[in-house]
Amino acid sequence: MMNDAPTELGELTITRIFEARPKVVFECMTTPAHLTHFWGPVGTSTPLEGITVEPRPGGRFETVMVNDETGDKYPMRGVFVEFDPPRTFSFTEADVAGGMTTSIVFNDLGDGRTETVTHQTNVPQMLMSPEAQAGLETSFVKFDAYLATL
Amino acid sequence: MANDPLSQTFAALADPTRRAILVRLAQGQATVNEVAEPFEMSLQAVSKHLKALEAAGLISRGHDAQYRPCHFEPAPLEAASSWITTNQRVWTERFDQLEQHLKRMRHDQKKEKE
Repeated sequence: MMNDAPTELGELTITRIFEARPKVVFECMTTPAHLTHFWGPVGTSTPLEGITVEPRPGGRFETVMVNDETGDKYPMRGVFVEFDPPRTFSFTEADVAGGMTTSIVFNDLGDGRTETVTHQTNVPQMLMSPEAQAGLETSFVKFDAYLATL
Repeated sequence: MANDPLSQTFAALADPTRRAILVRLAQGQATVNEVAEPFEMSLQAVSKHLKALEAAGLISRGHDAQYRPCHFEPAPLEAASSWITTNQRVWTERFDQLEQHLKRMRHDQKKEKE
């Protein structure tokens, strides 16, 4: 199940439900031996030796995704802001789009399933003004429609 | 404030007047006066917005000293749009694979019990 919606320009919220308890899902997302199996998207792999998880606020969260075809490497250098198993963790990547924060909340659905809500704020400076946020999505949709005609 | 192109694009787009100006210019080039027409603000204020858009590479200005018509430049928007799409795809595929991983774990546990 999923419900992806670009909430604001430069922001992303992804809600998913997994068939496992929060403890298990949280562990998978924060343990190198698990991460190596699923972290890289289709067409990439994430070797175990490139994964660093220091499970505490201020600790490093680093991965290197490798393109299966070209061997190109896509490193991610994150630092944990919150680390509160099995409820939530968040991390910042200083070198992406001027500083990006990703937070993941693990909600216990009480029936052995977990709902995760992943929220990314990509561009902190644009969030400084509340009026800047209003209508961003609308105009982005317009631009997207325009770009599609090019 | 970060100086990478993506951040500049997002920062320039964060202002509603600048987005309205871009929507106008996306329909065709215009002079500063033409751009300013629908807005209740001074030419000077509009010029300031145009400068911000130009700095972000979202518009270019003609060389005619008198008119300097403004053109919409879609490339930075395309980059921003494609970055958002790619980022969303990465997370969606990541979670698809986590789902598979959890399935394998359940399967292995079942086997162990048997």
